[in-house]
Amino acid sequence: MNPAKAFAHLFSPLGGDEADNYRNPGQLSFLRSPFMALDSDEFKQSEAPYVFIGVPFDEGNVGKPGSEDGPKEFRVASLDYFPYWFEFNVDLHGCAVDCGDVSMPRVSPGVARERIYAAVLAALEAGKTPIICGGDRSVSIPATRALSDFLGKDKKMGYMHLGAHLDMANSWAGESHLSTCTMARITELDNLSMDNVSHMGARNSFNPKDHIDLAKERGMKFFPMFEMLDRGIDEVTKEAVARVWDDTDGQYLSFNFNVLDSSAAPGVTATESGGLESREIMRIASQISDRGKISVIDVTELCPMFDVSGSTSRTAVCVILRILAGIAAKHGQTTDESLRRPGWKYNK
Amino acid sequence: MGAPYCPPEREAIREMGAKICFLGAPWDQGTIVRTGTSSGPHGIRQASTQYFPYMFEYDVDLMSFFNVVDCGDIPIIPGNNELSQQYMCDYVTECLEGGAKVLLVGGDHSVPIPGARALSQHLSRHKPDGMMGYLHVDCHLDAAVDWAGIEITNASGPTETFKLDNVSGKNMAHMGSRNGLNPKDWMDFWIDNDMPIYPMSEVVEKGIEVCGRQILERAWNGTDAVYLSWDTDSIDCSTMPGTSCPESFGINAREAITFARLAGEYGVDVIELAELSPIFDVSGISAKLACNLLYHYLGSRASTLRSRNEQP
Repeated sequence: MNPAKAFAHLFSPLGGDEADNYRNPGQLSFLRSPFMALDSDEFKQSEAPYVFIGVPFDEGNVGKPGSEDGPKEFRVASLDYFPYWFEFNVDLHGCAVDCGDVSMPRVSPGVARERIYAAVLAALEAGKTPIICGGDRSVSIPATRALSDFLGKDKKMGYMHLGAHLDMANSWAGESHLSTCTMARITELDNLSMDNVSHMGARNSFNPKDHIDLAKERGMKFFPMFEMLDRGIDEVTKEAVARVWDDTDGQYLSFNFNVLDSSAAPGVTATESGGLESREIMRIASQISDRGKISVIDVTELCPMFDVSGSTSRTAVCVILRILAGIAAKHGQTTDESLRRPGWKYNK
Repeated sequence: MGAPYCPPEREAIREMGAKICFLGAPWDQGTIVRTGTSSGPHGIRQASTQYFPYMFEYDVDLMSFFNVVDCGDIPIIPGNNELSQQYMCDYVTECLEGGAKVLLVGGDHSVPIPGARALSQHLSRHKPDGMMGYLHVDCHLDAAVDWAGIEITNASGPTETFKLDNVSGKNMAHMGSRNGLNPKDWMDFWIDNDMPIYPMSEVVEKGIEVCGRQILERAWNGTDAVYLSWDTDSIDCSTMPGTSCPESFGINAREAITFARLAGEYGVDVIELAELSPIFDVSGISAKLACNLLYHYLGSRASTLRSRNEQP
């Protein structure tokens, strides 16, 4: 057997009767990874460092609906990418398993939140980094609580969010666990010091005064978009990343892709102009992956029904995969450059 | 553009004095990704109705300067890729033999396979020892020797062109590559043949003008004709949602127009714009940008020729 055969997934499909169409592998999973149940031995014993968990939950939403289709579309978009990333010379094949979607009871948001908490905790206890795809941003409330409890009281947690809104409502129309309350709940976690929180990209006026007031009262550091533009993305990112990664035991990285300009991310629930360009978020991603570790990643508020070209989901997948590839490269997990496609001939 | 129709026949083109032929390839049977690019030529014609042929930036009327004609769409035979691509090759050949340069609008990105073949054959007929340059501006390296055994998909433009006798790796280059739809063999093809790729990170760092100039210089270095294959997904998905593989981290609209103008400075024999997919483009921004790329290319070409007192 050609030794390169085991690496066939690095290359263009070889074809033949056994071959897959790479975009239609038969089963819709994140990066064509195998499905496993969270409570199975198979999952606990698997060596994949990442686990994809979908959370199709839209009941914490205060604005435009549609984020419950996020996980499905995120998986679809992931099929448009190969496991091999030439810019990093990294092979992501086998890096993840897919544990499906957290089962959502309808009209019982409290029950849903407990299930989200249990799923994230189970993934962490199996020693994996969950990649959580919402759902509206309120899914971060039970997910951060799971990381906080997993780390324990004497450990330090870091939290970074990229998004246009502070979501710092102590309550919203009398409710305390809606997407707009997410940051207010997260900043109450015991082992999350305000020194280890960074929020990047806040702008425009879906940030009512009570959100700003509460952020100031609690000493939550946020880097508004204007500050990022004035001081430069690289410099602000360096400071924001240092707050979250320096001296912490676990890091929670959270994306709402409305941190991107609405031209670059039309397919989110709350589009906002004046945001980042895609090349800027790639620079941020590379500073994050340079730290070489993350405990939990979440992506919330994707809204595929407004994403006519599918470009927003693809961008989201691309950012996440670039972070995974960057982390792998940081740990020296690169591919043998001398590997060639079986039967490779390239000279005239 | 409102350009008059001219049958895609060399005598007719010569008779009309056309120096630019627009040719549509409404074709997506070569694609390994989603379809929709067969509406590309239609989309760009429609977008062009919103523009005047006069361009104030160059003070030129494209229509009268180049005698632009529209040679219609190349016939596509459903289910027969080889015959369809042969028609593409034949139609491009007619335009070239008619004494015109070609704006070839795809269609999926397998269009350069017959397109570059036509230019290569045209060149060898008129200058047997002449060489042809080939540039590929794309998010994807597109260098599959074969894709599941098939050699004529939209993943094999550069590899098929490389096989042509009068094409050397010395005159080939790639610009705009990024992200994870680039299997390793695609990169191996460029690297193993000592052909440069300018990935997006380098384009951002050095600027499109520097990188663009370098690839155009390379393509024209000792050659007599150049084929420019430009995939719309080289452009960032924020300004180019209407493509079959929208990708982030791409060149933005002003960089794309800068490169179009730069290409106009150097000139090419065939400029091919592939993968435009209007169906995914709700407000029509992609087709308008694509149209602008061709217009700015022509405007810049016209002003370059005029400054040298040359005719197209």
